[in-house]
Amino acid sequence: MRQGFRQSMAWLHTWSGLVVGWVLFAVFVTGTATYYRTEITQWMRPELQAGATFDAGRAADLGADFLKARAPDAVGWFIGLPQPDKPLIEVHWWKDLAGPFHHALLDPATGAPTAARATQGGDFLYRFHFELNMPPLWGRWIVGICALILLVSLVSGIITHRRIFADVFTFRRTKSAQRGWLDAHNVTGVLALPFHLMIAYTGLVTFALMYVPWGVTAAYKGDEIRFFVEAQLMPEVRAPAGKPGGLVSLSPLVAQAQGRVSETLEHVAVYNPGDAAATIVTIFEEPHGLAHLHPQIAFDGASGAELGATGIAKAATHISASFVGLHEAHFAGPWLKALFFLCGLMGAATIGTGLVLWTVARLPKPAERPGFGYRLVRALNLGTVAGLPVGLAVYFLANRLLPVGLEGRAETEIRLFFGAWACVALAGLLRPHRAAWREAFGLASLLFLAVPLVSAATTGQHPFDGAARFLGFDAAMLAIGLLLAAASYRAGAPRPRRAGAAEPRPAPRPAAHRAQAAVPQARSAEGAEIRRRA
Amino acid sequence: MGQPQQGRGIAYRMGVAGRVLLAALGGYGLAALLTALLSVTLPLPRSEAVAAATLPSFAVMVAAAIFVFASRSLARAALGLGALCLLLGGGLWLVQGQA
Amino acid sequence: MTPLVLALNLALSFAALAALALSLDRHHRDAFLVRVPKGRARTLRLAGWAGITASFAAAVSFEGWNFGPVQWIGALTGAALLVVALLAYRPGWLRPAALAALPLALAALPFALKG
Repeated sequence: MRQGFRQSMAWLHTWSGLVVGWVLFAVFVTGTATYYRTEITQWMRPELQAGATFDAGRAADLGADFLKARAPDAVGWFIGLPQPDKPLIEVHWWKDLAGPFHHALLDPATGAPTAARATQGGDFLYRFHFELNMPPLWGRWIVGICALILLVSLVSGIITHRRIFADVFTFRRTKSAQRGWLDAHNVTGVLALPFHLMIAYTGLVTFALMYVPWGVTAAYKGDEIRFFVEAQLMPEVRAPAGKPGGLVSLSPLVAQAQGRVSETLEHVAVYNPGDAAATIVTIFEEPHGLAHLHPQIAFDGASGAELGATGIAKAATHISASFVGLHEAHFAGPWLKALFFLCGLMGAATIGTGLVLWTVARLPKPAERPGFGYRLVRALNLGTVAGLPVGLAVYFLANRLLPVGLEGRAETEIRLFFGAWACVALAGLLRPHRAAWREAFGLASLLFLAVPLVSAATTGQHPFDGAARFLGFDAAMLAIGLLLAAASYRAGAPRPRRAGAAEPRPAPRPAAHRAQAAVPQARSAEGAEIRRRA
Repeated sequence: MGQPQQGRGIAYRMGVAGRVLLAALGGYGLAALLTALLSVTLPLPRSEAVAAATLPSFAVMVAAAIFVFASRSLARAALGLGALCLLLGGGLWLVQGQA
Repeated sequence: MTPLVLALNLALSFAALAALALSLDRHHRDAFLVRVPKGRARTLRLAGWAGITASFAAAVSFEGWNFGPVQWIGALTGAALLVVALLAYRPGWLRPAALAALPLALAALPFALKG
């Protein structure tokens, strides 16, 4: 908030980015990992072999049998049918729409609870990225507010960055620490700018009706279900009749529904299963396209007669659904998905470099004792940027090292994730700052490099034994481990402390001619510019 | 915070707090009112009007926040946002009254 | 065949962005130690924008208006990152790499057409 439009936008960019940076870094990292949610879950349940196909009707019946025995008085059942990439029946049930929502995984061959190890797998990272492991409402609001502030930060950042096109390829890594961080922040931010804007906006749109329910309030008197039905997002639903009734077998309805829709059948929902007016809804995968729209057909639970189906969504609804689809990128093939993943990493890098830049630009003079705020930001930076990778590696290692039959196993994995993360953040307070970065990144690197080894040792499945199914995951762990090792090495390498400081050692060959060719700039002016923009 | 030379008095801090509050509440209020008004006035089927009105609401919030922080003074920003909200609120009241 | 179209997009975007980067004094000096001559800058800029347009046209004509633009932007981002990395670490390699990318794009084209 200084005089002048650009100055006030620079101020806004700096501070809006700082206050939400730590949460957003975690959201970006876990969200980026979510592009490979299925692969992560497969790796975390090594007992299961992916690739088989299943009889959807039989699986639906097995799910219903389990739920009839377990939760006959529930008001809702939700049966996730087994797929080649997820060979399990996943059932949810709830006795109250407000929760709690119970959950079980069944063997698709027998319908009994699965023998695979208990873990939340990639689903934990997926849910964390928009709920932060908090009560859903709290987590979604906090992440939503952070995403909105991210948008403000992006827009003010674009306004601040005067030479956005002229500087788009500029990364002066050898000039000064501050320049290097500023350029890294700009490059990762600007090159993937379309992605950053898209991902922030579409993420908000995903929960738009929760954040901005006022359109539904005004036009539907708050009746959200009515809106969903009219928008063709779900078929007509019925209120319970209040008297008990029987439920038809699901498999004939599954076959009937599959005859109508060519997409893969994903879920079968049963609302008020013990009631005379029970409703069965078959939910299909979204048709190939950007839009996140699941075709659905509803049946009467007592007679099996069709009650209704979703039609074709109109333009505005379709555009909204396409926003959600863009966020999820389910449509992307492996190569495009890899680019999305890369963009997600660049988002995390933009946030991480921005956070570090804040401290680099405010580095106290050698004799000065840094203030509380400065030390707090520095500690949070280290705790988040270096602590989260350690937590992630520990999460994967715990999956392999905890006994398979351990009570509360899935929860213990998650507790270890948070525990390791917190340990790094706290231990960072006890060490000199530079050493803390080097050691935390080094630890994360070692842990990630250990993942394939521990996995091979505990499961007996490894690429050298012809078991190639986790080759991709193992390679990713090694790549991340090496990247973190490089980060650890760089964090420990001596770097110029302030803008304009001389290089402490002779620059390597390719940099030498660049240093001579660089436009001579008044050092003080350069420092001032960085400070203004950082 | 590391920049003591910039005179961060209580007035400055209150000004920042005021703008943060105005950007948050004013931005959200503006977006909420605009979404509600468009939902009942757009010449589209009801569900389409709601979808079309909800989609841009986050852009409205961002624009409002940028406006608040770019304004020369807090009072000007408050006046501008307040007038817009009053206008939209009045329109919504008229439309809802007719229905 | 999406992977081939993506490869085509990546190669075209990379060559185009490399041309655009080399049309700027700063990066031309990184790679060739001298300022970029005026006429050459214009040619490079023209070639760069033409390449980006061609990449867009290829993406949209193969993938449609739905996925085409998404893939085009994704490829641009990936290619730009590569250009920046080369400029920072191996500036001398940028020109040969860009020149090598062009025939690669041409080679991918018939396969993309067939798929």
